[in-house]
Amino acid sequence: MMQNLPWLFLLLPLLAAALDWVLFSKCSKTAATLSILSAAATLALCVAYLAGLNTGAPDVYTWMPVAEERLSLHLGLLTDPLAMRMMLVVTGIGLLVHIFSLGYMKGDTSNLSRYFAGLSIFMFSMSCIVLADNLAMTFIGWEMVGFSSYLLIGHWYHKASAADAAKKAFITNRVGDFGFLIGILLTLGVFGSMNFADMAGKAAGIPAALLTATVLCLFCGAVGKSAQFPLHVWLPDAMEGPTPVSALIHAATMVAAGVYMLVRLQIAMGHAAFTDTACAVIASVGAITAALAALIATQQDDIKRVLAYSTLSQLGYMVMAVGLLAGEAAMFHLYTHAWFKALLFLGAGAVIVCCHHEQNIWKMGGLAKRMPLTVLCFLMGTCALIAIPGFSGFFSKEAILDAALEHCPVFFWVGAGVAALTTFYMTRLCLVAFCGSARAHGAEQAHEAGASMLLPLLILAVMAIISGYGFIADALVPYAGFEAHGFAVGLPFYVSLGSLGLGLVAALLVYGCGKRSSDPLAGNALSAALRERLYIDEFYDKVLIGGVQAIIAHIIEFIDAAIIRGLCVQGSAWLTSRFGLLLSKLQGGSLRAYTFLSGLGLLVLIILLAFNF
Amino acid sequence: MLIWLILIPVIAAACIGLLRTPGRATALLSAGLTLVLGLCAVLSPTDCGHDCLSSFCGMPLQLSLALPLSRIMLLLTVLVTFAAVLGLKAPDKDAARSWAISALLLSAGATGAFLSDNIIAFYGFHELALIPTFVMIGCYGRGNRRTIAWTATLYLGLASMVLLAGLLILCSEMHAWSFSTLAAAVQAGIEPGSPALIGGLLLLGFGTLVSLFPFHTWAAPAYASAPTPIAMLHAGVLKKFGLYGLFTIAGIFGDKCGALFGCWNNLLLLLLLGNVLWVGYVTVCQTRLDDMLGNSSVMHMGYLFLAFAAFIAGQGHNELALQGAALLMLAHGLSIALLFLLTGQIEAQTRTLELDSMGGLAQKLPYLGFMFGLAGLASVGLPLLANFAGEFTIFVSAFADWVPGSCLTTCDCILSRPFSALSQMLGGLGPVQLTLVFALWGLVISAIYMLRAFRHIFEADVAHASARADKLSLADMVAAAFLALFIVLFGILPPTCL
Amino acid sequence: MIPLAHYLILSGLLFSIGLAGIIIRKNILVVFMCLELMLTAANISLVAFSRAQGTAGLPVYDVQILSLFVTGIAAAEVAIGLALIVALFRARKTVESTALNTLKD
Repeated sequence: MMQNLPWLFLLLPLLAAALDWVLFSKCSKTAATLSILSAAATLALCVAYLAGLNTGAPDVYTWMPVAEERLSLHLGLLTDPLAMRMMLVVTGIGLLVHIFSLGYMKGDTSNLSRYFAGLSIFMFSMSCIVLADNLAMTFIGWEMVGFSSYLLIGHWYHKASAADAAKKAFITNRVGDFGFLIGILLTLGVFGSMNFADMAGKAAGIPAALLTATVLCLFCGAVGKSAQFPLHVWLPDAMEGPTPVSALIHAATMVAAGVYMLVRLQIAMGHAAFTDTACAVIASVGAITAALAALIATQQDDIKRVLAYSTLSQLGYMVMAVGLLAGEAAMFHLYTHAWFKALLFLGAGAVIVCCHHEQNIWKMGGLAKRMPLTVLCFLMGTCALIAIPGFSGFFSKEAILDAALEHCPVFFWVGAGVAALTTFYMTRLCLVAFCGSARAHGAEQAHEAGASMLLPLLILAVMAIISGYGFIADALVPYAGFEAHGFAVGLPFYVSLGSLGLGLVAALLVYGCGKRSSDPLAGNALSAALRERLYIDEFYDKVLIGGVQAIIAHIIEFIDAAIIRGLCVQGSAWLTSRFGLLLSKLQGGSLRAYTFLSGLGLLVLIILLAFNF
Repeated sequence: MLIWLILIPVIAAACIGLLRTPGRATALLSAGLTLVLGLCAVLSPTDCGHDCLSSFCGMPLQLSLALPLSRIMLLLTVLVTFAAVLGLKAPDKDAARSWAISALLLSAGATGAFLSDNIIAFYGFHELALIPTFVMIGCYGRGNRRTIAWTATLYLGLASMVLLAGLLILCSEMHAWSFSTLAAAVQAGIEPGSPALIGGLLLLGFGTLVSLFPFHTWAAPAYASAPTPIAMLHAGVLKKFGLYGLFTIAGIFGDKCGALFGCWNNLLLLLLLGNVLWVGYVTVCQTRLDDMLGNSSVMHMGYLFLAFAAFIAGQGHNELALQGAALLMLAHGLSIALLFLLTGQIEAQTRTLELDSMGGLAQKLPYLGFMFGLAGLASVGLPLLANFAGEFTIFVSAFADWVPGSCLTTCDCILSRPFSALSQMLGGLGPVQLTLVFALWGLVISAIYMLRAFRHIFEADVAHASARADKLSLADMVAAAFLALFIVLFGILPPTCL
Repeated sequence: MIPLAHYLILSGLLFSIGLAGIIIRKNILVVFMCLELMLTAANISLVAFSRAQGTAGLPVYDVQILSLFVTGIAAAEVAIGLALIVALFRARKTVESTALNTLKD
């Protein structure tokens, strides 16, 4: 009985979601309480497990039993350190976001039961990904997080932009899942099982091309979910959702699921399965995403979009680390990033609420004076993100850069460049939004956020500072046997200090003390391209979806309607009826013609018989 | 006892027709009774072998649950019938009577077909069930109903003739006229003289009944046009007859099923890609909700044919394929029935089904939005909903027999050549696996059209058409909730057919 | 004794005249008479065959009975046929066969 305690991680949020939606759909307070209670309970359970509670292996539930054991679909849970420590990040940030939502959504007229049900479904599905002991179950969670993300991005579905963004997120993720599913099935063939425990050491005899194909197909899933380069377009649009959702799903946890899955596979399959080609592709995709997103972030005006592109770029770092076979560093960065990015998003949420739902940083300004505590928390997050030594982000970014330098210096220099850009755009954001004087009415009336919003911010700020230090990281970084080895003062250290300084100085020079009222860098072609997201979204919309796909679909529809339904089906019916009309001419009703024909027939018959033809 | 599952609806239909009892109430009573009886039968441990023996004009009409798919199909039939009758909303009283009669006869025919042991009765019951479909489309359909009804009639009539030819050759060559004696004949080692011909005829006949590409063009217009309960019952239940027949016969032949269908398998794989991808893109182009749903139902049949192809390729040992197909038939039946039910309700509220003229309906009727979202996402294949269980099982089953490199030297008929060239490039995938890889793109396509429909109907600003939406009746809500409940239930606890 | 061929030629001529009449004439009454002519032709050849195929001076009676049967049928047919023609004339005021083709529409 006790060994099945981990199933509560899945059942509690699922139950809460079902109750919220079905029973308490009109009673948002109860719904919110239920969701928060379930998040708190799972956090408590998680802490208990990390504190040393050991209940043995949980039971495996056979979902689809078949005679051949390896094909039966099982649902089983892993409670290893990788899973449990990841659960701490998920449930911890999850609980804080639930609490923050109470304040953020106060006064919102939409159905809050649906909102909290969505959050609970997310907690369920994310736990499903994290705890899954096989790829089938991972896929179930994978689809369900996609669904909860769809639900929550589209929470304000009466806004066309939110509805479109939700749809875009779901479909883009589906494209990634298309590859992921192929990868899962290939894994079943290549490794003989979808179970992580059974994959170890089986990569040895498999042809490299097949392994590469398998790993890259699985990687497609991560490209979709973690918003990597060709499929990154959905994440910035996902900012249409409520800000706490952006913090939980689109910054801290769900988008990191791709990285978690890859690291999980790397451990299960062994590094041998990740062939050189596969690694090169993964690392390059990560590096490209990191660089592109950081560039685009420098010219965004919407505070949430800046953070969204920053998330993309940090995810790029993690994926790059996975590609460099440095899963440890990737998980370290995932873990610190989760805390400080959740902090930044929640901070941004507080700022947005206090400025009366204004998201444009050029309409803020001078907020440091009006809401000092919030801004201070936000600054802590910024320091961690731009990797100021001593903050958590510094340690994890250093770990990735170390790994890059060791494996492939190109990625190291890309990483360093991205670090400089990160410093630049975050400094720009802080200078413009918090310094100087208010540029709009909303910002003038801004005031400090309420307690339910400040409390999560303070907790996250503490984590953003301390979570990188060895004494806490060793116990909490989701990687078995993780050890934060103190950084060595070497090339990576000097380079990252240099890029930090470069970014800071550049931003200070350009934006001064936030006195300007518009972006001095705007107005040229490069800036316009960056503001238009390098035209990638437009290319997809106009060329791929509106062009190629629409044309193909219409051609097919035309052929289907005109040729198959028209020519072949209606055509053959028309032909048959025409032929019938033709034959009916023979039956003209003329008695004499009938007699003549039958007489003729008789004659022919007689002749045939008589002459023995 | 099983005979009552057929007799009750027939008697109820006779009551409505001859004694002029109120249509909906009588039908509801009958559907409720068959629901209870059907659930008892499905859950009963015995397969009701000889107890149900009864004869009709000297022909033994044995009904049994012994065949692997019978229980699942019976379950599907009683559930959808109940929901269809509960949600029945006809324009006037006479129409209500004829709709109820048709729905009852349809369900009686479908039940008979799924339970019959005798092969001729199996065929005959299906024909019986088709008649009300044609009449209803012809009399009460939307749009160009006469043409649509005639097209469907001729199409299915021809398909039935081909099918009958195949069945007759099979039965006469095996000297067995029921599934149980057929199984005994196969056990005894009797082999049909012309297996490929039989297989081809069966595949063509059954396939057309299930709208296999390129014989699919009757289906979408017929579903779009048919009155709601008929569309629910035909698309949800009766259409599965073809797959039921294929799987049953292939299952009886077991490891010899390759002789019948093996040589057609590569062709079938190409055609099912037509169902998934070709019809998928046709679906994307539809601008009316009913046309879109009709096409989407055709599209999803591709995955069921894929399960069949995997079953054949596995020489009848691929029980996962059978399992997946059973689940997907059940799930697809429930979800498409729910979607058609909701379409009827949407049309009643907005008096239009043009996607572009609707919008914001969820603000007026959140319940409808919730149900449509659930049914739509079920058909897109979201986990925890029934379709996912079926689809995922089928996907796994397609890879069940594959071991890396095992398919590099497949048979060299012309149709497999394009496959084998690709296969060499992709690490030795076999034809079934390669087809699956392409067919998976259908998951993206179905998400595109389903979410687009949801977005157009329910989200964004309240459009003019949606503004007149009133509120739903209790029966509407219960009927939808009834189907939704089972979609969720079977998604979490998928029933097994083995 | 007259040879069989002469009877057959007579019968063939009568049959041809009857057939030609049916094909050529419009009046349905004449057509009917031509029909009778063809039956008579058949009867003549039957009787001729019965004598020719006879053994021991006796004709083949089966054939003669058949010809009597044909005559009987012909009588019945005349009764019904004339009644039909009269009814037709009353209904349509014509017995021209070319005017009686409304069934084809």
